Amino acid sequence: MSRSLRTIIALMGIVAVLVTCRKDPDETVPPGPGTPAPPASPVNFDPANGPHELLSTYNFYQGTLAQLQPVAGVLPYALIDPLFTDHALKQRHVWMPDSVKAAWNGNGGLLDFPDGAVLLKTFYYDQVQPGNVRRLIETRMMYRWGGEWHFANYVWNDEQTDAVADLGGSNTPVEWTGTDGLLHQVDYRIPAEAECGACHKEHGEHAPVGPRPRNMARPYTYADGVAQQLDKWAAEGLLEPGHPPAVPMVDWQDGDAPLQDRVRAYLDINCGHCHSASGYCNYRPMRFAWEETTDPANLGICVEPHEHIDGQTHIVAPTRADRSMMYYRLNTNEISQRMPLLGRSVLHTEALEMIEDWIDQLTPPCE
Amino acid sequence: MRNLGPLLLAAALVATVPARGQLTCGTAPLIADGNHTVAQVTGQPPPLYCTGGANAQHGMWYRYQATEDINLTISTSLPENAGVDTRIQVYTGTCGNLTCIGGDDDGGSVYLSVAVVGVSAGTTCYIVFDDRWDDDGFVFNVSSAPGTPWENGPSFTPYSASGHNALGVVDMNGDNMDDLVSVPGNTQVLLGLQQAGGGIQSQSITTPQAMYMPSWSFCAGDINGDRQNDLLYGGGSGATFMIREQDGTGFVQQGFPQYIFSQRTNMVDIDNDGHLDAFVCHDVAANVRFMNDGEGVLQFIQGGLGETCGNYGSLWTDINNDGLPDLFVAKCGCDAHDRMLFNQGNEVFTDVSAQNGLLDSHQSWSAAWGDFDNDGDMDVFIGSSTNNNHKLLRNDGNGNFTPVAATFPETSGSIEWTTHDFDNDGSLDIMGGGRILLGNGDLTFTTRVGAVSNGPVGDLNNDGFLDYVNGGTVHYNNGNENHWLRVVPLGLLSNTNGIGARIVVESALGTQIRDIRSGDGFRYMSSLFAHFGLGPDTAITSVTVHWPSGVVDHFVDLAADTVLVVLEGSTISTGIDDTAPVGPALHPNPTNGLLHVGLAGEHRGGTYRIFDAAGRSAMQGRLLTDVIDVSGLAPGTYTLQVTGVAGSSRFVKQ
Repeated sequence: MSRSLRTIIALMGIVAVLVTCRKDPDETVPPGPGTPAPPASPVNFDPANGPHELLSTYNFYQGTLAQLQPVAGVLPYALIDPLFTDHALKQRHVWMPDSVKAAWNGNGGLLDFPDGAVLLKTFYYDQVQPGNVRRLIETRMMYRWGGEWHFANYVWNDEQTDAVADLGGSNTPVEWTGTDGLLHQVDYRIPAEAECGACHKEHGEHAPVGPRPRNMARPYTYADGVAQQLDKWAAEGLLEPGHPPAVPMVDWQDGDAPLQDRVRAYLDINCGHCHSASGYCNYRPMRFAWEETTDPANLGICVEPHEHIDGQTHIVAPTRADRSMMYYRLNTNEISQRMPLLGRSVLHTEALEMIEDWIDQLTPPCE
Repeated sequence: MRNLGPLLLAAALVATVPARGQLTCGTAPLIADGNHTVAQVTGQPPPLYCTGGANAQHGMWYRYQATEDINLTISTSLPENAGVDTRIQVYTGTCGNLTCIGGDDDGGSVYLSVAVVGVSAGTTCYIVFDDRWDDDGFVFNVSSAPGTPWENGPSFTPYSASGHNALGVVDMNGDNMDDLVSVPGNTQVLLGLQQAGGGIQSQSITTPQAMYMPSWSFCAGDINGDRQNDLLYGGGSGATFMIREQDGTGFVQQGFPQYIFSQRTNMVDIDNDGHLDAFVCHDVAANVRFMNDGEGVLQFIQGGLGETCGNYGSLWTDINNDGLPDLFVAKCGCDAHDRMLFNQGNEVFTDVSAQNGLLDSHQSWSAAWGDFDNDGDMDVFIGSSTNNNHKLLRNDGNGNFTPVAATFPETSGSIEWTTHDFDNDGSLDIMGGGRILLGNGDLTFTTRVGAVSNGPVGDLNNDGFLDYVNGGTVHYNNGNENHWLRVVPLGLLSNTNGIGARIVVESALGTQIRDIRSGDGFRYMSSLFAHFGLGPDTAITSVTVHWPSGVVDHFVDLAADTVLVVLEGSTISTGIDDTAPVGPALHPNPTNGLLHVGLAGEHRGGTYRIFDAAGRSAMQGRLLTDVIDVSGLAPGTYTLQVTGVAGSSRFVKQ
């Protein structure tokens, strides 16, 4: 990074702090009656100084680190529809300095996070062999500073006592017993810094993918009971209060939901970050964001693919999964043909079955 | 709804063939122009898939006899077939020995097919409809129009090279014939060695475990100068080199941990020091080059050759005719501005993208670079990856480009665009998007509709016509009457492959040029030999090889249909009678220090003289042993004469 760019970022940081300080007295919500003042967050992170070398240094978690028990001020969250990443399980957390909060940016927009906000996502597997134990692989971190998102990543040590900063990228084999009782194997990919930006990019700038109201409007079981996530965020001072009611996407695994909506939800979280007007692959015709897939053309129905792969006449050819590029690409592990390109090295069989069922019941023919 | 009555009636009248004759090749009924009906696809499957693609279970067979030279159209794209999914294969030959001449899968409406083939007078062709997609019945139409059979350009016959899902077609054993190279697993390289008498012999070589697989691209060249081609795997998380051991038995890996989302890879002598370097397009960050220290040890360097993301199709060729390989990068996605960088030497590059109209967000994964108008410079077809909006630019000879008004309505988008002369007519053709654009030699093209799939290109049956490989199938060019020349460069001062050499061939047809390249198109590695089509010319006026070292070799009055092996510096005039009988048998050649003269003992004690490339005396002495120490000579090409020995011998000091 050039010196001038560093200077600009530093200046932006100062401006952000000034703005924050000015806003502070007006916007701090006093604790409601009967609500004890929250304890001060023990989190140790000054983004101006950059990320720490060890995950433990941040004090995001208390007790045994691998238990990921959040300290005060660190809130767990979950998505209605998570990205499929080789069956890895994920635990997400958010933290912000006391003085700032995120702003609502539309039901489908990313929450407008303030400088200082930290998003954490720990990737892990259960019933890992040998030993049938939980193995934490990596804790990915995005933090906002200077009006931009930055990446850090922490790779867990073999002892599972701490995780060490590493943005170099690597692979690690994982073998586990799935919930289906079968042994699974993957060569799990821990991304390099530039690799993070392949998916986490919007309008050419780094950006989170998941935290949009439509994918967060679900209940979550907190230590003190079940609450709607966005309401909890507002109550905890992470989101400006008084946001409009969020309209959730369907859960793609909800067999009672309409089939096409389930498909749309799956495509949104797994494909929409690249296949959108502001995404990395905006030059291809598909537009997979939840709001855009009400248009069949954006789903690729009867749209001819740009790339020629044997026999695939349309992105989605009604009743013909065998002629549908979408199905072909979700159904191959060939690195240069599979979709999503990153984060998946094995087939997501359950999703494939849903996609096939959906294609089968579409109305042919294409013009 | 349209009145289909007459059509169906016509079909019923014409379809008077034996009920079950269509089930095999041997019983295929003879049919004429008109409509014919297939009740269901139940017969023997085709033995060859001219269309490419997965095999079928069944087929229905028909014969057609041409009484004059015709273009024959076989179509299922008829209204009454709506909802049916057909595929067509077309052959000539006999049932035991069929040759593909065409075929089609989806060239008609939706899943219907239209195959167009050229058939010579007196030839019988076989038409097979297969059930890859479904076995439903349909009506098909056959119609002929007079025309020359080659009007539709080259045709290919597929041959299943089982297991050889080749990424490369390149000579791997130094016999001046192209071989197949595939990487079936992360500890294996599989060679398909072309045999002198025909056929391909498999050789499996165990490699160290590859850090990355060639998932995105593959190229080859001799990195360490031992005349064994080494391999570069372009993977999604990085790039790694498999350096072939000098005895050819195995590979040593030179891997790099740095993250690269590899796209096109190339080997090229970027700094013109005589040793191959390498280049890797990075999808999500600045491009990477690997610089050779002269001993085959590579250094990872990122930056300086394209700083932004979206790098897909790099190609190194001499764009401005200054003798140095320049860089073009086809770009797409996050920074869809193609880059053209002129090589100024010493790893200094000048960006000339803007003045050549490349900053227009044209979405491209590769570009085909060749002299499409045979005027002595490299023009470019920048293929669109999204639609038929391709760009064709004419080079003025100095690397200034002007757009050529040309449209390619019958093409589509494609990530692969390469150029070769597939019909040996002396005009470069373009392969991409399932089509061949037949070059007319004047920056115009005729689109040949027919299924071809991009893959590595080379001559895999040594017949002087370029073949290609796709998905484990070798597509052998059926050839024609045209003539050809293959030039095999053997570098001495330059890199051993002669990558970056400019080869100029003159014949009655005109002047043609090729640059030796490692890595064109998007993914594959095509032959390191220069292939020229010569049309009707049986004689070649001259062949000139401009080596990266600056050495120029010149040949005159050659016959066509031959392989010309050019050892760098072998035609340099020394002022000495080059036509004299063979002199001493020198080795090693090239040499770093000691030169064995290879003369019997009676010449010991005699004198010798060594002349440089300009004919000046560079060294002289007495031959006390059979060995001369030439370590004091500057690198270059020299000639040795020994007193009392007829003739002279050339050698290269490295």
